[in-house]
Amino acid sequence: MTVAIDDERLSATFAALASSTRRAILARLAEGAATVNELAEPFDMTLPAISKHIKVLERAGLIRRGHRAQFRPCAIEASRLREVSTWAEQYRSIWESRFDQMDSYLAQIQAPAGREGKP
Amino acid sequence: MTDDTDSSNSVVIERSFDAPIGLIWKMWTDPEHFKAWYGPEGAAIPVADFDMRVGGRRFVGMEMTTPNGLMRMWFTGEHLVITEPERLVYTESLSDENGNVQSPSSMGMPEGHPTTTEVRVALEQTNAHTRMVLRHAGIPAGSPGEMGWNMAFDKLATYVKSQQP
Repeated sequence: MTVAIDDERLSATFAALASSTRRAILARLAEGAATVNELAEPFDMTLPAISKHIKVLERAGLIRRGHRAQFRPCAIEASRLREVSTWAEQYRSIWESRFDQMDSYLAQIQAPAGREGKP
Repeated sequence: MTDDTDSSNSVVIERSFDAPIGLIWKMWTDPEHFKAWYGPEGAAIPVADFDMRVGGRRFVGMEMTTPNGLMRMWFTGEHLVITEPERLVYTESLSDENGNVQSPSSMGMPEGHPTTTEVRVALEQTNAHTRMVLRHAGIPAGSPGEMGWNMAFDKLATYVKSQQP
């Protein structure tokens, strides 16, 4: 079901956003594309550590990386970020999914009781 | 007034259910029914305590299995409007297992998530169906509602501390 898929994607996105370092990387990329080296500059971190954060963001679809072999600049993926840009929109899919469940639960408890006596 | 239409700060969902209004009301207010549908897919609701009085507390526990193991979340709130079977308004905040409000950012939620949100449920019976309008809105930081809420929890925190040896 699409709602379930959206929920999964949202979870991945939330997990990616649940780090101040990764949010700072996104903030930097909001100003324009940058290489891993450039992104690493403001942080007191090794390049491999920064690369790890970048991979998480990439897997969550929040950034994309260019194909120029040597530099592979990172750029922000605006559409993905927009989906989760407001907490309210984050809740929309959660509520829709809950109400789908309410629907099936209602059908279940309102079904005529006693199926054993088949006509 | 919290009735502003700042769409970035609220979500409105309309649904129609094939059930009488009294049953939909119970979906929200009877813990056994509430537990059956409220958890997002993959989540269970082991705890739902509702003090169904205006000013009465709500306390909901949620459990879900994540790649990092079992995750538990707690929510607390207060009933603001109870007009059976048409209107229910309550606040909601992330909390710890003792009902102490936690800041959303400390729980890994992105910045901008309000500490306290307000859920409004409006129900209307139309023939055999019930139309439901849900509005989930953030209470702006520093508003009187939030202040009252925080004060209530400060009191609660003090009380909880005083109960410990």
